[in-house]
Amino acid sequence: MRRWLISPEIGALIGAVIVWAFFWGNGRTFGEADTTLNWLDVAAPTGIMATAVALLMIGGEFDLSSGVITGATAIQIGLVSRFFMGDGVNIGWAIGSAFLAAAAIGWFNGFMVNKTGLPSFIVTLASFFTLRGVMLVISKRLVGKVQVDQITEQEGATFFKNWIAHEWRFTEFAIRDNVFLGLVFVGAAAFIYGLLEQSFIRRAAINTVGVGMAIVGLIAAIGGFTGLLRTDGVGNNALFTIIALVGVAVAIVGTALARWVTRMRASSDGLPPEATRRLGLGIGCVALACLIPIPFDRRQGQAILTWTSSGLRPVLAILGAIVGIVLAIRAILPEMREKKKTASGFGKLTMFAIYSGLLVMTLLICFLQLTTVQALRAISMLILSGAGLTLLMLARGIAGRGSKKWQLIIGLLVAAAIVVLAFVIRADSGAVRFRTGLFGAMMIGAMAIAANTLVEFFMEKRTHADTTADRLGKRLQLIGGGMAFTGLIIRLVWSNLTPEHAAQVKAAGGSVGQNVLRQTVVWWLLVAAIGSFVLVKSKWGNWIFAVGGNKEAARAVGVPANQVKVGLFVTVSLCGCLAGTLIALRYGTVQANQGTGLEFEYIIAAVVGGCLLTGGYGSVVGAGLGSAIMAISVVGVQTTPWNSDGRFAFLGGVLLLAVLVNNFIRKKAQEAR
Amino acid sequence: MTITEDSLAAADHGEHALLELRNICKYFGNVTALENITTRVEAGKVTCVLGDNGAGKSTFIKILSGVHQPSSGEYTMYGTPVHFTTPRDARNAGIAAVFQDLALAPLLSVWRNFFLGVEPMRGILMRSAFMKKTAKEEMAKMGIDLRDVDQPVGTLSGGERQSVAIARAVYFGARVLILDEPTSALGVKQSGVVLKYTRAAADRGLGVIFITHNPNHAIPVGDRFLLLNRGHSLGDFAKDEISRTELTRLMAGGAELEQLEHEIGIR
Repeated sequence: MRRWLISPEIGALIGAVIVWAFFWGNGRTFGEADTTLNWLDVAAPTGIMATAVALLMIGGEFDLSSGVITGATAIQIGLVSRFFMGDGVNIGWAIGSAFLAAAAIGWFNGFMVNKTGLPSFIVTLASFFTLRGVMLVISKRLVGKVQVDQITEQEGATFFKNWIAHEWRFTEFAIRDNVFLGLVFVGAAAFIYGLLEQSFIRRAAINTVGVGMAIVGLIAAIGGFTGLLRTDGVGNNALFTIIALVGVAVAIVGTALARWVTRMRASSDGLPPEATRRLGLGIGCVALACLIPIPFDRRQGQAILTWTSSGLRPVLAILGAIVGIVLAIRAILPEMREKKKTASGFGKLTMFAIYSGLLVMTLLICFLQLTTVQALRAISMLILSGAGLTLLMLARGIAGRGSKKWQLIIGLLVAAAIVVLAFVIRADSGAVRFRTGLFGAMMIGAMAIAANTLVEFFMEKRTHADTTADRLGKRLQLIGGGMAFTGLIIRLVWSNLTPEHAAQVKAAGGSVGQNVLRQTVVWWLLVAAIGSFVLVKSKWGNWIFAVGGNKEAARAVGVPANQVKVGLFVTVSLCGCLAGTLIALRYGTVQANQGTGLEFEYIIAAVVGGCLLTGGYGSVVGAGLGSAIMAISVVGVQTTPWNSDGRFAFLGGVLLLAVLVNNFIRKKAQEAR
Repeated sequence: MTITEDSLAAADHGEHALLELRNICKYFGNVTALENITTRVEAGKVTCVLGDNGAGKSTFIKILSGVHQPSSGEYTMYGTPVHFTTPRDARNAGIAAVFQDLALAPLLSVWRNFFLGVEPMRGILMRSAFMKKTAKEEMAKMGIDLRDVDQPVGTLSGGERQSVAIARAVYFGARVLILDEPTSALGVKQSGVVLKYTRAAADRGLGVIFITHNPNHAIPVGDRFLLLNRGHSLGDFAKDEISRTELTRLMAGGAELEQLEHEIGIR
């Protein structure tokens, strides 16, 4: 766990998830298959280059000509195939010549850096301007304008387009729903069974009543989910939802009863007063959260606090949110302190992540909706229901120390409260995504809590180690968790636009794209996989790290430092040529200033991905995530009603945040040794 | 031709020292860097080379480790004359130098540093499990228990970092270990740690050349002392041939120091 936390790409991973979730919640079509393919397509060329640039940066150097080389090679392909080869000669020769030229430029960069000892950004800046000048002069001289076209009309271009820059078109992802359901269902079942296997004592003989319950529950669950699928969407059919979830809970309890030893009934004590107080407060909070929507109508869009100046409103909103969060944390803090001795580092970190996530989300809502009635409603509901459920869970924990019976009752009460809140939100929320998604998540959460409470009530806890059961449980958890996670990702990322939704989007002035998967994405994944493999698993990766971290030291132990650097510069140029070839084949037309200025995007992607600017540390996977973050924000902004120029400000914030999170986590994790 | 320490050791019959220098001189043009240096390094013994700044210690190391070639004089291993033209030759012959800057990459993990430049491979894969295990074991042999070989070398203390470099040299078959000012950048306690590991390396049968300008560090570990001053040898003594006071006096420049004391009025 800790090793994972100190890895360089952790900041980028968190950033990518946050950015994705942000646009998923706010963008009208974000998260549909076409937008996903769209941002993958935008990310791919940046990702190919960011891989190479990250390797170079880990090796301690920069390449400012990395952007312009993509354009230069594309232009070279166009010019060579049109003017320097006879008619009918295959464009493959032009592509080959571009790769050779790129390798030569990379070698020259590396050679000059090694030979002169100048900082690499000076040397590569010179290459940048030279290439740019040569590109402009030659294309103006030969074509008479600053763009080279008709590339795809050359001999053999179709062949290369099909094999290097292929496009796969999909009309729909019909199997997606079935795959999602199957994966999540089987994965969750394996996960839960593994969990049970780890905590309870096996029976000598299997209990038939339990088996019966399990079978009935399973049938109900499958029936319920199938019904849900037929009615399309989790939020549309409350009856099937409830059948499915009750079925799951019954199946879990039945399985537990069938396989493991039940508990002796102990005499139960009364409810301790501190639990009573929290129980009362919790019920009150949840009730209030359910009542909040009545006075504040969600269709009432105007701002409250009309007497304040508009500049003051966001400040007030943010202050209010901070006060709310501080109060909530203060309520929970003593509890956290108490648990500190037993809670693992992971547990604490999870709590921290949840609370900071809540804070960021609330602040975002405040800022975006600027103290409208909806914002007030959303925030007060969020805080009240969150506080209510936390209090109820605390009451359950306290009651559980004295009385198992009260633990059962309060546990079921928590589940019931979540179900009620879910229905309130479903009936009342404005956003389709949150309405269906949040409803489903809350129902599943309620089911999990109910099943957990029941199982804890009926079953005897295992205190001794049982190696086979533990190992089986752990494996099942790992496999099941992985399956369910994959299923969820598939569902979230590749969902199809329903016809009604598509019509809505078109009516609102948005565009509905096509499902096109370009081979660039495949190249990206391939380059990133090779780069990551070389960096982490091979000796050359070790050398790259060492050359960037301490060049003299590396040389002293026999690492060919200069060759490593030249190799890295050549890699960057070759990747640039790959990107340039893909551009030339895709559009058939290349502007002479193609790629200029992109070198900073590559560097930003690498830095967001955790590469140190000073070299010697970083990751290729992180650079890939960095390019994904940038692509998601470019494409994501287009799916929202906001001005898409704002993405630059957004990118700036993400860059700063990712680096800060990176440093913070790395520091924490290294302190913990 | 590659000289390996094993072939030399096999040819010898235990009558010669591991490494011997006789009347070594080094000139850079008109400049005399070293003149008539004679000393010996025996297996399991520590030879300390003492000298102030500019005494020729660096040149001495560079000759030993094959960076420079002596202008004249005899350089033998097990009684056989050797001529190293590159550092790689010296390394192949079992002479490992641990330099002041340690040749470690601070952000790289301990096990990656340990095998840097000589990574064991299976096909195109590094044998990382083997590398981690070996690094941990070798550090344990030096008396350092690393909980996590994945931690960056930069998070280790100065003394521990030295010992990573020493353990690495020992593991890769060094017979002669040259330590260049290993204590100069360290505090009192960390210096003690390094001295302990230096002794530990010698006790494992290596010949150690310990270079320092601090006689207080040399005396506890040294079996033989070579004193340098401006490229000349002030003497080459076995431990029982010289007293601590005499060593300190010679090291500090002898008569020069008395002159200095007189000038600034120390009594």
